[in-house]
Amino acid sequence: MSVTALIALAILVMLAGGFYAGRARAIQAVEGNTVRLHSLPNYHGYYVAIWTGLPALLLLLAHGMFADKVVENLTYAELRREASSLNVQLNDAIEADGAYESLRTEAVQLRGRAEAISADIQRLRNATGEDRDPELMDRLEAERLDALNAVTAADEAVLEREGELIARVAAEARAEGAPVRALAGFEVSQAPREQRQLFLADTLNIARGELPSRESRELVAAASIATRHQNQLRFLIGGMALVVALAGLARTRSQVEPAFRARNHVESLVTALLFLSSVIAILTTVGIVFSLLFESLRFFSSVPVSEFLFGLQWSPQIALRADQVGQSGAFGAVPLFAGTGLITLIAMVVAIPIGLLSAIYLSEYAGPRFRATAKPLLEILAGIPTVVYGFFALLVVAPAIRGLFTWLGFDDVATQSALSAGLVMGIMIIPFISSLSDDVINSVPQALRDGSYAMGATRSETISHVVLPAALPGIVGAILLGVSRAVGETMIVVMAAGQSANLTANPLESVTTITVQIVMLLTGDQEFDSPKTLSAFALGLVLFVITLIMNVVALRVVQRYREKYD
Amino acid sequence: MPDNQSHSDSIAGAGEAEQPVKVQARDVCVSYSGKQALNHVSIDVPDRSVTAFIGPSGCGKSTFLRCLNRMNDTIEGARVTGSLKIDGLEVNDKSVDPVVLRANVGMVFQKPNPFPKSIYDNVAYGPRIHGLALSKDELDAIVEDSLRKAGLWDEVADRLNHPGTSLSGGQQQRLVIARAIAVNPEVILMDEPCSALDPIATAKIEELIDELRENYCIIIVTHSMQQAARVSQQTAFFHMGNLVEYGTTEDIFTNPRDPRTQDYITGRFG
Repeated sequence: MSVTALIALAILVMLAGGFYAGRARAIQAVEGNTVRLHSLPNYHGYYVAIWTGLPALLLLLAHGMFADKVVENLTYAELRREASSLNVQLNDAIEADGAYESLRTEAVQLRGRAEAISADIQRLRNATGEDRDPELMDRLEAERLDALNAVTAADEAVLEREGELIARVAAEARAEGAPVRALAGFEVSQAPREQRQLFLADTLNIARGELPSRESRELVAAASIATRHQNQLRFLIGGMALVVALAGLARTRSQVEPAFRARNHVESLVTALLFLSSVIAILTTVGIVFSLLFESLRFFSSVPVSEFLFGLQWSPQIALRADQVGQSGAFGAVPLFAGTGLITLIAMVVAIPIGLLSAIYLSEYAGPRFRATAKPLLEILAGIPTVVYGFFALLVVAPAIRGLFTWLGFDDVATQSALSAGLVMGIMIIPFISSLSDDVINSVPQALRDGSYAMGATRSETISHVVLPAALPGIVGAILLGVSRAVGETMIVVMAAGQSANLTANPLESVTTITVQIVMLLTGDQEFDSPKTLSAFALGLVLFVITLIMNVVALRVVQRYREKYD
Repeated sequence: MPDNQSHSDSIAGAGEAEQPVKVQARDVCVSYSGKQALNHVSIDVPDRSVTAFIGPSGCGKSTFLRCLNRMNDTIEGARVTGSLKIDGLEVNDKSVDPVVLRANVGMVFQKPNPFPKSIYDNVAYGPRIHGLALSKDELDAIVEDSLRKAGLWDEVADRLNHPGTSLSGGQQQRLVIARAIAVNPEVILMDEPCSALDPIATAKIEELIDELRENYCIIIVTHSMQQAARVSQQTAFFHMGNLVEYGTTEDIFTNPRDPRTQDYITGRFG
């Protein structure tokens, strides 16, 4: 058993002991006559136990969460210190090296050239009328591509030369018998960022006794440093935890006396706990939003926002080689927005009337027996997994629609169509709208209905003139909830609407939605820094913003038209 | 069952009825899902006057009121028997359309229940569904007239398009009364119309009831004996589903014949 686990166990034992200690002391303080206590003995127990265990356990938890990072940083700093003389040697070597210098200069010149061509292209693009010269434009584009490739090649040459120098310095140092730890430090401090992280990760793996991705003398040497830091940290934190626990126990136990308000203290701790829970929920949301935002910003640094929001072409392929066709891909998301809108529209055309009318029937007309059976049945619809709806759409509805419209004389009806996805999605949303609307309609006070009936209104007049207007805010809320379900729905569209990003208003064609594209972009092996994968975050951000706006609008509508009934 | 009187004796009359009989009930019984709520009530209510129904909670006075415009139809399991005539026409007859009947017998409820519409639309609600106004001007006239009769016109004339729910409780109740008289009913039923109001609003409503007496047959259910004494000409005392005593308000309050009535109006029970 590890030291940390033992300490944790000890703290748990102290926590339990603290409870009984506090309790016993409280009872003893009033000589068994617990009526004289301000708080029940158990509260004194809780109070002591919480202050004994909680801070110490939190300390251990923090250690568990952040120890690796701390050890990594400490190890890295120490390795760099060890390697400082070698780093100085490398700097000298670089300065003395003429070849390196000339390569650097060449790279700078090439970059300047590429930028000049880019500026030319930009000027031509802005030009209007007769100045426009597509041929020149194409030629310049080709030139820019060449220039950019040359820049890349030059940068690589610089790096290569640097690598050679590093290797030479390291070899010389090794020949002179420099300590392994210094060499390890040199290796890690001179490596590019990714390699450095890999090296440190391997170091920690060895230190933890896990299998590293490779093994070398340098790694083993670095790992011994890491192990030392790890142990120091572990004993330091463990000792601190024990001290904190003991101090808490001693301090709070001495506070226990008949008039001590242990109950109120426990109460405020409970409040703090509840507050913490809600903060965690909020922080998670904020975290998700920010990760969306930052990845989207990375995406927008390679694809302009205007092109993403207003471009009409969506084909997010990224070429593997520079000379491949469609090298940069097209990231105009309008076809996705249009597809999402079309399918949502179809779904709502299905779901709103059916959902609302069934809610009216269930709440106003249906007898209690019918209602008791129908409402749960309707709600079962909400319990069907969306993937089941998906293959229902794909295997039943889509062929039926295709058959129907082909029979009606339409040509080339796609198997996967916006219509079949929208219809099935509408069916999926019916229970949301009907169930929520039903609740809202039921909450309209009977007094309003009575008032209307007493005026000689019929049932349907009462519903359309009095009940529905009174229930309108809730119904609007239900509909907007349905819309955000439809916008965010993925499975049905993946299966039934297709993946081709057509910009069309024809419901018989295959379209694709924001969610489907996110799935397509992120499934399978993907590198996480190409615009292709990053565009998924931008799409996610758009989806989030749409849903957010809808929720805000729904809230405003509800507040604005809310009638106060008491 | 009422006391061991024969039916001919138990037909209660107000005695000095100068006005013709508007509502005539004979042996009206009501049960909710088999539970008897009203036992053989027979009563004659005169036109153009205010008749108060008093009695402890659950005595059947509201139930009887709801028979008069067949609001009991909307309650599941309600059963009404006996004869109930307004202007000689049988209310419970199959041929009577409750929708038409209710246009003729207005009702004001315990809690003000304006619809979630503007003040104008609240009053115009009845005329619109019954097609009483042929033009916008006519409808405007009806709305203004009804609001004037309800004593609310001066307070709301400049904000007819505000929601009805924005008014105060007392104003809401007068709005509801204006809504009821907009369809020009002959009988107005009021089910504890002041129980949710403060004394000042109550005084206004009572004043209004007194004015409306000129043109309508008003039946009011109330828990306040003072209110019954103030606004009504006839008073009927209900107890446990029976009509115990019915007579002029003065007689009931100064010279009650039945000991139960005496106990109730002197506050000994209920």
